[in-house]
Amino acid sequence: MHHMLHIKNGIVVDPKNGINAEKMDIFVKEGKIVEESEVDVKEAKVIDASNKLVVAGGFDMHAHIAGSKINTGREMRPEEMRTVRLIAGKFRASIGRVLLTSPAIGYEYAKMGYTTAFEAAQPPVGALHTHEELDAIPMIDKAALPVFGNWHFVLKYVAEKEWEKLRAFLAWALERTKGFGVKVVNPGGVEAWMYGGNCKSLDDEVPGFNVTPREIITGLIQETENLGLCHSVHLHCNNLGTPGNYQTTIETMKLASKFSNDKRQVLHVTHVQFNAYAGSSWRDVASGAAEIAKYVNSVDNITIDMGQPIFGHATAMTGDAPFQFTLHKLTGSRWSNKDSEIEGGAGIVPIAYLPKNPVHALQWAIGLELGLLIDSDRVVLSTDYPNGGPFTEYPYVMAMLMSKKMREKELERVSPYVQKATGLAAIDNEKTLYEIIQMTRSLPARVMGMDNKGHLGIGADADIAIYNLDPLSIDTANDFEAVYKAFKTSAYTIKGGEIIAKDGELVKEIWGRTFWVDATSNASIEAIDSDLNEMFEKYYSLQRQNYGVEEAWLRKPERLVMG
Amino acid sequence: MLKLKPKIDFEVSVEAEITPQLATLSSDEISNFQVYYGKEKTKLGDLFEISKEGDDAKLVLDGDFSMVKWVGARMDDGEIVVKGDIGDHLGAYMTGGKIVVEGNALDWVGAEMKGGEIVVEGNARNYVGCAYWGDMTGMSGGKITIRGNVSNYIGEKMGGGEIEIFGNAGDFIGTEMKDGTITIHGSCGFVGGDMKGGVIKVKGSFEVVPGFKKVEDGFEGDVNVGGKGKITQF
Repeated sequence: MHHMLHIKNGIVVDPKNGINAEKMDIFVKEGKIVEESEVDVKEAKVIDASNKLVVAGGFDMHAHIAGSKINTGREMRPEEMRTVRLIAGKFRASIGRVLLTSPAIGYEYAKMGYTTAFEAAQPPVGALHTHEELDAIPMIDKAALPVFGNWHFVLKYVAEKEWEKLRAFLAWALERTKGFGVKVVNPGGVEAWMYGGNCKSLDDEVPGFNVTPREIITGLIQETENLGLCHSVHLHCNNLGTPGNYQTTIETMKLASKFSNDKRQVLHVTHVQFNAYAGSSWRDVASGAAEIAKYVNSVDNITIDMGQPIFGHATAMTGDAPFQFTLHKLTGSRWSNKDSEIEGGAGIVPIAYLPKNPVHALQWAIGLELGLLIDSDRVVLSTDYPNGGPFTEYPYVMAMLMSKKMREKELERVSPYVQKATGLAAIDNEKTLYEIIQMTRSLPARVMGMDNKGHLGIGADADIAIYNLDPLSIDTANDFEAVYKAFKTSAYTIKGGEIIAKDGELVKEIWGRTFWVDATSNASIEAIDSDLNEMFEKYYSLQRQNYGVEEAWLRKPERLVMG
Repeated sequence: MLKLKPKIDFEVSVEAEITPQLATLSSDEISNFQVYYGKEKTKLGDLFEISKEGDDAKLVLDGDFSMVKWVGARMDDGEIVVKGDIGDHLGAYMTGGKIVVEGNALDWVGAEMKGGEIVVEGNARNYVGCAYWGDMTGMSGGKITIRGNVSNYIGEKMGGGEIEIFGNAGDFIGTEMKDGTITIHGSCGFVGGDMKGGVIKVKGSFEVVPGFKKVEDGFEGDVNVGGKGKITQF
């Protein structure tokens, strides 16, 4: 039952529609934002938003919230499961310190005013598991990005320059995995890891395939664009977590220069903080954020997200299996390795970011530098949950970006190494509330190609967050504590026109949609039919007809047809 | 001194982080102290008969407390006497004071304790002085004495302090132990896997895992982790 809503007298910030702190009313009917004339004002439920900030629901475009990685993380870290957030009753039990259970993920996003979150790395062969888990997350809309960069089909088609076949394969795989877009993790490197190696530069040859990361990335961007997918290639770069890697990152970004798209970027580089290190070893490691920021600001076809570390507990989990092994050797912490047949792998290592540890403090500073130095129209706020820390601390990142005073206060408690190895202390820039809303709402929606998300224009999904913060009177540079507190729990979170959380308390459990992208009409699947049969016969542990996820198995699927 | 007696036979477990400190509070505060009965929040006074004599930090638990968990957890001073059996997590994380159990205890006696003393006159079960799952260090100080028998996993990841068992023990004694002493007067199963340091003394029979080398007065290892732990018979 969808009620009509009349959100009255709120102070609206809606960057996509150019609205900056204007007092206005918002009307909701049947889960969408509508004109006043379409709502029977007498019937509508009135929400008094006087002196409150009204924005679109938050959009987390890169988090690890479902699938075998986070699940293995939970198994490996029983100590994470001692924090009880909610005892079962009207709502389900909600547990977890940083690694949350599925219900807890939905509930915590909802309480914070976030209404959409995308799983950023779905092992294709584990697609069913990923969707089962996504289906167990209440409150939010979601989707999953399958990983492509080490899949034997991709390596083979790129090596043979079989572009039509590559295009067909992308379409086939997105349909089979009910995936949303093309995620690429350490292209070629994870395949090399199967033999104990890695691909650290763009020109390292992938063992067994006559192909390099440079060719894989270029080929995938080309065919993602030819398929006309709503999201661009979403890349976790080679050489992650290595001093000096910022050069690899910039070199990688340059691969996108010959592509363009009117609606969005052609390459999204993710959790760039982990790929923005200068120096030659952990002894002289420094920030490469300024150079990366300079490049990203100079082009209009690349977006990034921060991958901001939060001091405290976290769990590193990526499809970048060789990096996870390096991290395990570096920290001596527990390690789990994953192998997903001929598709790639993953690793999981628990970590705690300590303010006094020079490297951790450096990482923390680099994330902030990226957020501050890059245009708010190009950098999305993320912690790469749970790699950099909990998404529940996004308000901390928001407040830090808006207040130099808060940064100065925080700098006092971190390792002094930050002062000489990064430029953070010298950055005077303070993001405005408008820019923060851009980085957490309108930009991630644009990056993902979701026209109905991230804004409050007519026709948009009625995903709305209302915060106890008056944009007309708040001094975000000085009242950072008030900013943090306000963003931590929304006054109202509205999802699809229904109030799901109020003043930090859950109101109603609802089930969001799972978006998936169908581009099969833009490619000829027949072209790869015999290849698929042959590869499944030879290399997979399961048969082709048993591979993949049917739409009917999902709780609330929404097919987005590309054409 | 504060005396508690169960009002009913508990059907599900009670989680009550009660310490001797409780005895110094007013009768009202004691009665309203929050505990869980199963998943329901409730008050101490609803589950137990409370009688208070004086303000000294001493807790006497009279009756069957085998369904009551977390008694003495995080206590730092004072005394607890249990006149019957006690439930899981007795004295977990405790840093000081003394607990005496006249009956039997269950799992996790003195888990991750840092100081103080626990004496169990009867038997205990698994995980005496252990680290909780996922944590790096178990018991790191103080003393645990069990007069009866214990089961498996004793002093896992132990980083200091002393455990003395007068009866027999099961398998996995001092696994991943780093420091401290475990003494077993009876017999036990596998001892010392992945042990890095500390001493295990057994009077009866026991089994050494591969990875220990024979030295003059016993065994040293575990060589798999470059450990210098000692296992001796006395």
